[in-house]
Amino acid sequence: MLTLSVLVDLTRCTGCKACQTACKQWNDLPAGIPEFDNNLTFPSKTDGNTYTVVQHRVTKKDGQDVMRFAKMQCLHCLEPACVSACFAKALQKTAEGPVVYYPHLCVGCRYCMLACPFNVPKYEWDEVFPLISKCQYCFDPNGRYDRVGRGQKPACVDSCPNDTMIFGNRDEILKEAWNRINGDPKYVKHVYGEKEAGGTNWLYISDVPFETFGFRTGVTERPLPEYTHDYLKWTPTVIAAWGGLLTLMYLYTKRRGEVGKEQGQDKNISA
Amino acid sequence: MAAQKWSFKITAVRKVLIALAALAAAIAVYRLATGLGTTTNLNDRWPWGLWIGFDVLTGVALAGGGYSTALLVHILHYNKFNVIARSAMLTSLLGYLLVMVGLFLDIGRWFNFWRPFVSWGYHSVLFEVFWCISLYTLVQVIEFGEIATERVAKSWHKPLKKIMPVMLILGVLLPTLHQSSLGGLYVIEVGKLHPLWWSPLLPLFFLMSSFFVGPAMVTIETTLAGRALGHRVEDNILRSLIRIAGVLMVIYLALKIIDLVNRDAFGYVFAGGLESNMFLLEMIVGVIIPIIICFTPWSAGRSGLVTFGVLTAAGLVINRMNVVITGMYQALGPGYFPSWMEWAVTIGLVSGGVLVYLFIAENFNILGRHEEQETA
Amino acid sequence: MTNHFVDYQHTDVFLMIGSNSAENHPQSMRWIGKAKRNRGAKLIVVDPRLTKSTVYADIFARHRPGTDIPFLLGIMNYAIQNNLYHKEYVVNYTNASYLVNPEFGFNDGLFSGAGEKNGRVTYDKATWQYQKDGETIKKDPTLKHPNCVFQLLKKHVSRYDIKTVSNITGIPEDVYRKVCETFASTGAPNKSGNIIYAMGITQHTTGTQNVRAIAMLQLLLGNIGRPGGGVNAQRGESNVQGSTDLAMLSHLLPGYLGVPNATKHKNLQDYIERETPASGYWKNKPKFLISLLKAFYGQHAAKENDFCFDLLPKVDGKNRTHMGIFQEMMAGNIKGFLAWGQNPAVGGPGASYERKAMEKLDWLVVVDLFETETAAFWHAPGVNPQNINTEVFLLPAAFSYEKQGTVTNSGRWIQWRYQAVNPPGEAKSDLWIADRLFKAIRKEYQSGGRFPDPILKMNWDYDIPGHDEPDVEKVAVEINGYEIGKNEPLDSFGKLKDDGSTACGMWIYTGYMAVDKDLNVPNCKRRSREDSGLGSFLKYSFSWPLNRRIIYNRCAADMDGNPWDPERALFKWDGNKWICHDVPDFGGGKPPRESGAAPFIMLPEGHGRLFASGPVDGPFPEHYEPMESPTENIISKQQAAPCANVFKGDWAKLAELGDPNYPIVATTHRTIEHYQSGAVTRSCPTLAEIGPYMYVSVSEELAKEKGIKPGDDVWVETARGKIKCKASVLPVVKPLIVNGRKVEIVGMPWCFGYQGIVTGPVANDLVPAVGDGNTSIPESKAFMCNIRKA
Ligand SMILES: Nc1nc2c(c(=O)[nH]1)N[C@H]1C(S)=C(S)[C@@H](COP(=O)(O)OP(=O)(O)OC[C@H]3O[C@@H](n4cnc5c(=O)[nH]c(N)nc54)[C@H](O)[C@@H]3O)O[C@H]1N2
Ligand SMILES: Nc1nc2c(c(=O)[nH]1)N[C@H]1C(S)=C(S)[C@@H](COP(=O)(O)OP(=O)(O)OC[C@H]3O[C@@H](n4cnc5c(=O)[nH]c(N)nc54)[C@H](O)[C@@H]3O)O[C@H]1N2
Ligand code: SF4
Ligand code: SF4
Ligand code: SF4
Ligand code: SF4
Ligand code: SF4
Ligand SMILES: [Mo]
Repeated sequence: MLTLSVLVDLTRCTGCKACQTACKQWNDLPAGIPEFDNNLTFPSKTDGNTYTVVQHRVTKKDGQDVMRFAKMQCLHCLEPACVSACFAKALQKTAEGPVVYYPHLCVGCRYCMLACPFNVPKYEWDEVFPLISKCQYCFDPNGRYDRVGRGQKPACVDSCPNDTMIFGNRDEILKEAWNRINGDPKYVKHVYGEKEAGGTNWLYISDVPFETFGFRTGVTERPLPEYTHDYLKWTPTVIAAWGGLLTLMYLYTKRRGEVGKEQGQDKNISA
Repeated sequence: MAAQKWSFKITAVRKVLIALAALAAAIAVYRLATGLGTTTNLNDRWPWGLWIGFDVLTGVALAGGGYSTALLVHILHYNKFNVIARSAMLTSLLGYLLVMVGLFLDIGRWFNFWRPFVSWGYHSVLFEVFWCISLYTLVQVIEFGEIATERVAKSWHKPLKKIMPVMLILGVLLPTLHQSSLGGLYVIEVGKLHPLWWSPLLPLFFLMSSFFVGPAMVTIETTLAGRALGHRVEDNILRSLIRIAGVLMVIYLALKIIDLVNRDAFGYVFAGGLESNMFLLEMIVGVIIPIIICFTPWSAGRSGLVTFGVLTAAGLVINRMNVVITGMYQALGPGYFPSWMEWAVTIGLVSGGVLVYLFIAENFNILGRHEEQETA
Repeated sequence: MTNHFVDYQHTDVFLMIGSNSAENHPQSMRWIGKAKRNRGAKLIVVDPRLTKSTVYADIFARHRPGTDIPFLLGIMNYAIQNNLYHKEYVVNYTNASYLVNPEFGFNDGLFSGAGEKNGRVTYDKATWQYQKDGETIKKDPTLKHPNCVFQLLKKHVSRYDIKTVSNITGIPEDVYRKVCETFASTGAPNKSGNIIYAMGITQHTTGTQNVRAIAMLQLLLGNIGRPGGGVNAQRGESNVQGSTDLAMLSHLLPGYLGVPNATKHKNLQDYIERETPASGYWKNKPKFLISLLKAFYGQHAAKENDFCFDLLPKVDGKNRTHMGIFQEMMAGNIKGFLAWGQNPAVGGPGASYERKAMEKLDWLVVVDLFETETAAFWHAPGVNPQNINTEVFLLPAAFSYEKQGTVTNSGRWIQWRYQAVNPPGEAKSDLWIADRLFKAIRKEYQSGGRFPDPILKMNWDYDIPGHDEPDVEKVAVEINGYEIGKNEPLDSFGKLKDDGSTACGMWIYTGYMAVDKDLNVPNCKRRSREDSGLGSFLKYSFSWPLNRRIIYNRCAADMDGNPWDPERALFKWDGNKWICHDVPDFGGGKPPRESGAAPFIMLPEGHGRLFASGPVDGPFPEHYEPMESPTENIISKQQAAPCANVFKGDWAKLAELGDPNYPIVATTHRTIEHYQSGAVTRSCPTLAEIGPYMYVSVSEELAKEKGIKPGDDVWVETARGKIKCKASVLPVVKPLIVNGRKVEIVGMPWCFGYQGIVTGPVANDLVPAVGDGNTSIPESKAFMCNIRKA
């Protein structure tokens, strides 16, 4: 598929947070003072001013204590639930792959937050007129925050000292992911995002279970918009059929009532 | 008709209601001026809470009495239900207006509320909900306009009456769409909403429950109104209304079971734990006991009817809150309990609604003059 | 670093000990990762804490702070016992075969020649010398002679068997054995091992000997001077290498020339005679010193007046290191203090006492970007400004992106950086501030003074007419060196003269400003990405000395000039000439046997020192417990470092061995989020956000025992003071079994203070003012504390 993808190989991440700070700086996102987190992940989750966060975890692998990190952000689904959920088209999937938010269209209903299978969109709760906040994939074709649209790598990818992330075509990236997995038994045999929610543009591989970082597991492989579509596609039929039926019933029972009245009995009273 | 004086009795209860409504109004202003973060306990994990769960999802369903009555009375012309038609529709209108207020307070960028009218996110269930509710509220305003013009702006009465049939049909069609769509909103929560509630049939369940809660609400409402305003509807009319609901509830119950079994989710029903218990509560209180009442002599008396109404309505409230909160708990984790301001707004909105209802009922022909409609 | 970061890709086994590269030198992890992926390299991490660097580790050895010498000597012992050391290298390139004075000995923790002065051991080094036949050192290339260095070493390290090391360090025997096997495998001639270290090694009363142990292990395994090998001290502040080169330390002049001693060196002749060795590259020292004097004093420096040698400041034998200065300040002997780009109120040991010492000052000038804790010491929490009479000046300085000049990295690459933005407000570059300060002082001296010559005769001419900012390139050319009368920067320190015809501010940098003929830019501004082979990138920046990327690189090939590993051929003798991928340090033409005879060109004897008489505390490293320790020393009756510098006063108050009030070992460390005292990073919103809290890492066991829950506030207390901070409860630290007893360890970052966007208590309030006998570096990595829920 010719959409732009990123492979995040968690075995390469050393938790340096260059990506997290690069994202803040590139996107002019304000900083706050987050709450204490025992895992020393600050902020402990993405939020209204933070598109990406590097999760720190101390976990066990082969009986040993190990540290692992995961950079989390919007996965840029191939068929994004958030986009399908947005009733104002404030979220849109671009042909190149990025799922982009257009603040001026946003009503602030937060249905996208609920719809996203990965709980990605966040909200500026402290603002009077809050906006949704999520990774824009450094895509902003007419704006100052654009990188990908100009042929550059996203700021986070570019800042990583360890090549934790590679950027390219989804097909190639996916192939590379499987090459790595098949070439080294340490990896979990799973490319997160290959199938989840119908596939995503950001893909992850890891040598510890994805749950370690709070990745949702068992996400349906069917694109979420399809579930909605399965239902919504009936709307025109329902309008036509039910509307028609109602009209017919209205006319029929009304006529029957009138006829009944003429005949001195109320046909419609008992039912 | 000669101009009458507006009348509104101020009783102790009404004073309390006014105070509650005023408090809600004040908080609403505060909310609009300072944002959601200052007023609500909503957060990134729990983007939807009491206001969406109760004010909107439950509110719309409880206001379902309007369209179910409309279907029975105006479309199917079950004339014996005429006595309740106007009050049911009024309750419904008020319900929807309150929903609109609730929604308006809940959207973060309220000045942008009109966007979906021009920027069409038609692939969203919310888009359908938004359009249908907007249109339906308009339809109801027009429907009520017909009543209102009996007393004010009387020259409009005739033309309004002319378009009534179309309005009445729309008035059933639109709610059918959005009552189900409210359930449809949660179809996308695959794997997030607990399997006890998530189902591709969720829209249908929402639709059916919104329909059968109508008679329940009418029962409660006429009873209350009967007490407050001296308007009594005969038990047998209510009983036959309830029977219709009861039949639907039996189908609903059967469908639920079939659906659970089909999705291999039946095991959860008796699995214990928060979700199972809440589900059982919802089904026993809100469906099974009412069915029993409905089809036993219990429903012959007023107390049976009222119990039916209260339980069914309560069951529906529990159901909607289960979908919005209980069922999402595992996916979203702990971290939300409505703030006092959220409670105050919700309570205040309901109080305001009751006040307006009372005012209208006292000043317009809502409760008494049912036969007029058909003869006019 | 003997090697450089890019060269890490050639390593077979990394031993990262006392360095947390992932947090403090993130770019280095890139090359470690490459080596792992491309050549299956192994990484061993040795640290008391589970660090981010362990993400790439094949073996993580969790050890007790302050036990690196047993750890390292144990590997040497293992390599010798199992014949895994690099025999050919050891015989030819090290002093293993040298015979040592037969009187030399070692007894229960002390070497021969031990005496006492002021309650601390001082050594007479007479017995630590080589046996000589006239001028020739006696050798036994079979390494069998009982007095040869090799046999002495073998005997010395034999006490550090696996079981003993395990007991002292707390590393389980099987893990330690695995470490030994893995790292000793680099003794194979075609393998190279790389030891990466930093502050976990140096900040101890045994810091110098820790480093010695690393160097010795690398010599033993034949890992110095080779691609993928090396003794790699990952340095500190972005330009600390540059500032060390340029004489940041109190005993050095630029380019590692010793500061003259007021009593030892009466005149230039004296200095030259005493300090110039007969062999090795240092025999050129007079050329470097005289060129330096020419750079300092210009036309005033002439043969007749000893090139103004008398104007050089001299040392007087007193401790002029950081702690020494603060000791004097506490005693009221220092009136004024220039804190120029440093923040001792947070970074100094016993910091609360250092803050107190500053109250004794008449004036304090802070040259910094922010009002640091040091600048704000007089209004710190709990301090009453009314009781403080110190006058404080804060001169706003420009940050590195706001000025141009060079920065020297750990790999000795000197890279020119351009100005990106203008400094805000009234902030000025350090050069501007230094320039104006000097001129103002000179003006004062022009109207007389006690000893005006050093100032008035100083060569100081960096103005660009019409510009406010002095010419940083002029400074750079002066450092580089030039022939008097010609302004062209010299391209090699080989061209420096001792007759006053050349001037050079620092000989080791000569060539960095010389213009590259192909690229037409000064060498340090080169940015060619063309690899000159083996990742040397000789046309990318300039690496001192002489653009050499790996030093002592003659060792990269055997005596016949064949690379130890043909795959990593830095140099190869093809029978007539050398094929080079680096700048050879043995003169490009010298045939292998000749150059191989003395590959360690800076040492008079020309061979790597497994035995060294330089350190004050012994020719071999020996394990001593930290000054504060949870256990008696089981290897000798000498409990703590015999030559350590223990300062006076409460800031050096130590807990007794076995003090039940302080049963827990504490160490300090850095984090990626903050830089050093945090002065800059805690004032930068994005960085303040990612590291907002001072915390202490506590083991799950200790937390349970003390009733501490994750995120609780806790008190950490030492004999010097106490601080309150958050507890992070994770298996980052864990109790270890040391000498049969369970020992808990806690770790704290030291980057917090009371200024900036995010603030927190100062970890250094807990650290004792005790230092290494050679360098006086404080022991901030191992001390005793207690912890309780707040
Ligand atoms: N982000 C960031 N980078 C920096 C700095 C910074 O402050 N922040 N500072 C710079 C400076 S000036 C310097 S000097 C370097 C320092 O770089 P490092 O030396 O890597 O820094 P530290 O974290 O102080 O210490 C390294 C490790 O030593 C461990 N350690 C503690 N005690 C012992 C011990 O007894 N033995 C051994 N083997 N290890 C022990 C600690 O747990 C820690 O993980 O970093 C430089 N880079
Ligand atoms: N407990 C404990 N203590 C330690 C250590 C430890 O590991 N543990 N490590 C020690 C080590 S290795 C070091 S290097 C020291 C460091 O100790 P310090 O050098 O005292 O600490 P820094 O925070 O690096 O101070 C540098 C100051 O320079 C300022 N600055 C930055 N850039 C410029 C500039 O361009 N011009 C000027 N004029 N100022 C500038 C910064 O704002 C900051 O205030 O701390 C030591 N202290
Ligand atoms: S991860 Fe969530 S927010 Fe991102 S594209 Fe997918 S559905 Fe949308
Ligand atoms: S919050 Fe904004 S972006 Fe999200 S669904 Fe609502 S309108 Fe769309
Ligand atoms: S792609 Fe851009 S917006 Fe998204 S996390 Fe990376 S830097 Fe931030
Ligand atoms: S920049 Fe790379 S290594 Fe650093 S935290 Fe981000 S993904 Fe990990
Ligand atoms: S100097 Fe800068 S680029 Fe290099 S490792 Fe440190 S933070 Fe990274
Ligand atoms: Mo440092």
